[in-house]
Amino acid sequence: MITTQHVYKYFGTQAALQDVSFDINPGEIVGFLGPNGAGKTTLMRVLTTYLPASRGKVFIAGIDIDREPLKVCSKIGYLSETPPLYYHLTVAEYLLFAAQLKDVPARDQRRRLETVLAQCQLENVRSTLIQHLSRGFKQRVGIAQALIHDPTVLILDEPTNGLDPVQILQVRHLIQSLREKRTVILSTHILSEIEQLAQRILIIESGRIIADDRLDLLLSRYPQRNLESIFLSLVAQRAEGNEYV
Amino acid sequence: MSKVLAIARKELMTLFSSPVAYIVLILAMGVFNIFFYMIVDGNREATLRDIFSIMEFIFVFLMPILTMKIFAEEKQNGTMEFLMTTPTTNSQIVLGKYFGYLVFFSFLIFLTGIYYVILEGFAQPDRWTILIGYLGIWLEGAFFLAVGMLISSWTRHQMVAAMGAYIFLFMLYFSISFIQYCSGSLQTMVRFLSTWSHLENFSSGLFTSADVIYYLSGIGLCLALTRLSIENRLWR
Repeated sequence: MITTQHVYKYFGTQAALQDVSFDINPGEIVGFLGPNGAGKTTLMRVLTTYLPASRGKVFIAGIDIDREPLKVCSKIGYLSETPPLYYHLTVAEYLLFAAQLKDVPARDQRRRLETVLAQCQLENVRSTLIQHLSRGFKQRVGIAQALIHDPTVLILDEPTNGLDPVQILQVRHLIQSLREKRTVILSTHILSEIEQLAQRILIIESGRIIADDRLDLLLSRYPQRNLESIFLSLVAQRAEGNEYV
Repeated sequence: MSKVLAIARKELMTLFSSPVAYIVLILAMGVFNIFFYMIVDGNREATLRDIFSIMEFIFVFLMPILTMKIFAEEKQNGTMEFLMTTPTTNSQIVLGKYFGYLVFFSFLIFLTGIYYVILEGFAQPDRWTILIGYLGIWLEGAFFLAVGMLISSWTRHQMVAAMGAYIFLFMLYFSISFIQYCSGSLQTMVRFLSTWSHLENFSSGLFTSADVIYYLSGIGLCLALTRLSIENRLWR
């Protein structure tokens, strides 16, 4: 479903991504794990066509994102680190606007609106201005806009960032409910979140993938058998110049 | 086209849900009304020529306030990332935003139509002269909007966008003041670049293709540069 081949991204002379290659199969839930500034957001921005890769190839559902970026965009639902919201619109107005931009046929827009409102438990705030919503609701509206066109790939950048524990649980349940039909990529630096949500983990550090495995295999491969210890030891190894891929 | 209209509609909804639209409408109409009364009462002429000059001067101050948030706010709120990861072309984004603001500006011009109605009630104004004058001020405002939008696409700070637009519009408007210090081809160029000389023709009822081309090419250039500006991924 998603293939990256030797992707590099430079900001000036600074390499934000270096030789990133992986394949993600349809229906997989993959967690990007890494410390702040590791390159998770940059990688997601490349996958969503927002940033062009400096080198390398990316294919989403077999489509080259350099050649047909609009086609790729229609297959992807993306929640950026800060939920992209128009505060002066109501929830329903915003989601309908998103549906129009994301090529949802006019006759299906209302139906999709009702579906995502129910999915994200937003029915009661549909007519509320987004600026009056709590942070948890805003996050859900952000996820709802990512789902409005029923994408086959869902990319969520730190979906529980800044939420309180109750809101974190609500958003996690929501993501778990979305697993069935989609390939999901989510990034976080919260280890427990990855453990609960992802089947496969890509650990990114300094723009490189330093581990790529199924969660159960990763846990069985290391004596620590604890994601936190494994993550810390991999990052430490990387810092010492010992790479593991 | 449906995406252009969707973006234009969203811009209008956002505009009218913030105080900016009302401040601009009230301020503009307030100032126009005062000058309309003063000019008609003083000159006793059934013409809007001087009103159009006042409008042009006021637009130099008002347009930057109106346009400063067009792209700067999107960048500040992170919604630019949303827009650019939807299957929407950059041209659709630029045109949608521009049309939204153009509709708002056209509404402001429509409100000033009351001046023509008043003149008709008390005298026999030259309808064609007034109509051509309205076309001129509409084209001028549309040009100013395009300039403001272009500058808003360069920054994420609304105040910087407003100041940039002020400087640019001032240069466009006041460049005619320096014409006495120029000669030859430089003088011709300054006269051509200044908006003042072009609107003067329209206000006098003179419709020339050169003036129309000036405004349309200015608008086209600014829209094309805005598209390039948001396409340029260096700032992301």
